[in-house]
Amino acid sequence: MKERTPLITNTKCECGHQNPVGTVLCEACGKPLDREEQLSSGNLEMRYDGVARRSQRVNPGVIDLVWNFFSSVKIAIYLIVLTLLGSMLGTIFPQESTFLNIDASTYYPEKYGTAGEIYYKLGLSHTYESWWFVLLLVLIGASLVICSLDRVLPLYKALTRQKIRKHRQFLTRQKVALVTELKEEPEAWVARMVELLQKKGYRVRTDGAALLAEKHRFSRWGPYVIHIGLIIFLLAVLARGLPGLNMDQHLAFPQGDTVRIPDTTYYLKNEKFTVEFYTEEEMPKEFRGKKILPKLYETRAVLYECTANCTDPSKEPQLAEVARHNIQVNSPLSYNGLKAYQFDYDLTPVLRSVQPELINAKSGEVYGKFKLDMNNPQRSFQAGLYTLSLKEKYMDFGLNEEGQPVSKSPYPNAPAFLFLITGPDLPAGGQQYFYFPKQVDKEKFQMTAINDKLGGSGRFLELEVGGMSDVDFSESTTYLNIRVDRAMPFVWIGAGIVMLGLVLGFYWQHRRIWLAANHGELVLGGHTNKNWFGFRREIVSILAKTDLTVDEKSLDNGGGLA
Amino acid sequence: MGRARKPVQIIILFVIILLGGYAIGSSVFGGDGKLREGGKAPSFELLGLDGLTHTLDEYKGKSVVLNFWGSWCAPCVKEMPALQAQWEKWKEQGVVVVGINVGEDQMTVENFVKQVDINFPVVMDTGRDAVRSYGVSPLPTTFFINAKGRVDSIHIGQLDLSTLDDQIGKLVKP
Repeated sequence: MKERTPLITNTKCECGHQNPVGTVLCEACGKPLDREEQLSSGNLEMRYDGVARRSQRVNPGVIDLVWNFFSSVKIAIYLIVLTLLGSMLGTIFPQESTFLNIDASTYYPEKYGTAGEIYYKLGLSHTYESWWFVLLLVLIGASLVICSLDRVLPLYKALTRQKIRKHRQFLTRQKVALVTELKEEPEAWVARMVELLQKKGYRVRTDGAALLAEKHRFSRWGPYVIHIGLIIFLLAVLARGLPGLNMDQHLAFPQGDTVRIPDTTYYLKNEKFTVEFYTEEEMPKEFRGKKILPKLYETRAVLYECTANCTDPSKEPQLAEVARHNIQVNSPLSYNGLKAYQFDYDLTPVLRSVQPELINAKSGEVYGKFKLDMNNPQRSFQAGLYTLSLKEKYMDFGLNEEGQPVSKSPYPNAPAFLFLITGPDLPAGGQQYFYFPKQVDKEKFQMTAINDKLGGSGRFLELEVGGMSDVDFSESTTYLNIRVDRAMPFVWIGAGIVMLGLVLGFYWQHRRIWLAANHGELVLGGHTNKNWFGFRREIVSILAKTDLTVDEKSLDNGGGLA
Repeated sequence: MGRARKPVQIIILFVIILLGGYAIGSSVFGGDGKLREGGKAPSFELLGLDGLTHTLDEYKGKSVVLNFWGSWCAPCVKEMPALQAQWEKWKEQGVVVVGINVGEDQMTVENFVKQVDINFPVVMDTGRDAVRSYGVSPLPTTFFINAKGRVDSIHIGQLDLSTLDDQIGKLVKP
């Protein structure tokens, strides 16, 4: 870094140009301004062409001090190092954000002991969302913007206002320099050089027997293009936190059901879920009989968009199909920024409805058949001359502490229905009948015994399901990860701009050659921002065409060139 | 250098503070989307047992005791008489008790309401939308929402008559 300029300095160059505070090389003629520097013979400091950065000024105010703080590359490097160290902390144990249904407060101590507990207590279990990490990112963002502005504007000005004739010292103290005898007439020789330089792609300007040749100046903007890309990247990441721009949820879709996707107007139907496993023959010997390996997970999904009655729960929403896709691992359904990924599955069947028949257990006579839904069933059914009114419904039948029938969960694990049947040969007030659709529950809860107690000894009615065709159940449930990330395109744009900046900055070099020919002497100075070796060869080959033989090494003016 | 320099610097620093403040703010306060005490109660639109759609906005200007329950949850069943008693006691003073059933069908809810004998408004959250927006995980959970629509306090677990009375008292006369 450069040391601060003393408070009072004469910034007026002998060529008459008034330079701003902090200028190293005169903006006009390129002569060093510092007296000590004038007497030295080392290479010139060509960073930003020796112009003052914006932040360098006399008597800085509060805003200038803040500005200066962020404009320092040293500070930027400290910030980047701190952020790197902070990021490393977040990789020690898994982050909370990767959990779905884990209680973080018990997970860390249980799995990692005391270290885990400390990790959790310090808040490192959510490093990347913590205030200090976000603060570091914000500071880096500020530093990016201010560093760039502080340098790019003065540099732009310096490069667009270049003078052709420079001070002799400016030329001889470049890292590529040459002072040699010139036998030809200066102006004619310079005119020949112009043509040769132009052939090599240089833009050439002349002023008498002085010349400035320059090419690939755009390569100097590469770093600033990278910074613009990084800022867009950071802003896009920040914008992910805004409502509606980012969604990530895991939802269950029982086969055959249409499920609403919360916070959107979309509904997704799982038409069929398939899971296939590798057969014994398909697996390598080592795995046979030991492992079950899945071959395929597939959800045949249809995406609907709600067109009317979307929010009013008292009305049925109207749906229109918008997309259809067979979701497999790494092949999500994608529609308008919404993506549905295969995530998990459950092969436990879930009962949806049954169609029992009301029969006379003694004579075998069938009175009628009706459809009984597990969710929102009808309240009254007709089977021949008998009327069945549904009185109670239990989704997961059980008994509470007081021995009363209750539902243990809202899921149809052990559904049970209490009917009041009225009709011929029954008591005037009707007869109560408990019905368990699942065979296991009939035995477990002793359905016959309960009904014998409710209906007495003369009981003759039974509800029975004829066959599997009368049972409707969802064979399996697929779990999908529904994602919306509208900031993602901007992340990619930012990354693309960074790439463009890298290409600009790395694949081209800004090369400049200053020439001054007079009194039989040729003075040449050259500057590039990288690949000095290639630059020297180019100069030698151009000079050779004007019958000037120069040793490549003699151009090297020292200074540790690459 | 340019005369516009200072204002430009100020504008840039201001924008950085604004964006930075937003970023840090959202990471410190409720970045996880959970509803906290003092936060604004999210609106809902749910079907009531009366067959009409009910929203939180209908109770604007009133203190609302929002109770999430399920018929399968034993503590929910046990706290129902207390809720009913407090509803009767406070309804004249601009307090409304609203029960939100979580994920059950109409028949279950109707039977339950009859069985425990309550008559405060009950709505059904079949899609678990309110559960999501209120960040409810265990049942019962009760939200005490003041007349300004802000969550005054959140009670997780069974409520008894006296705590309920205290909470409502605080809600009405802060």
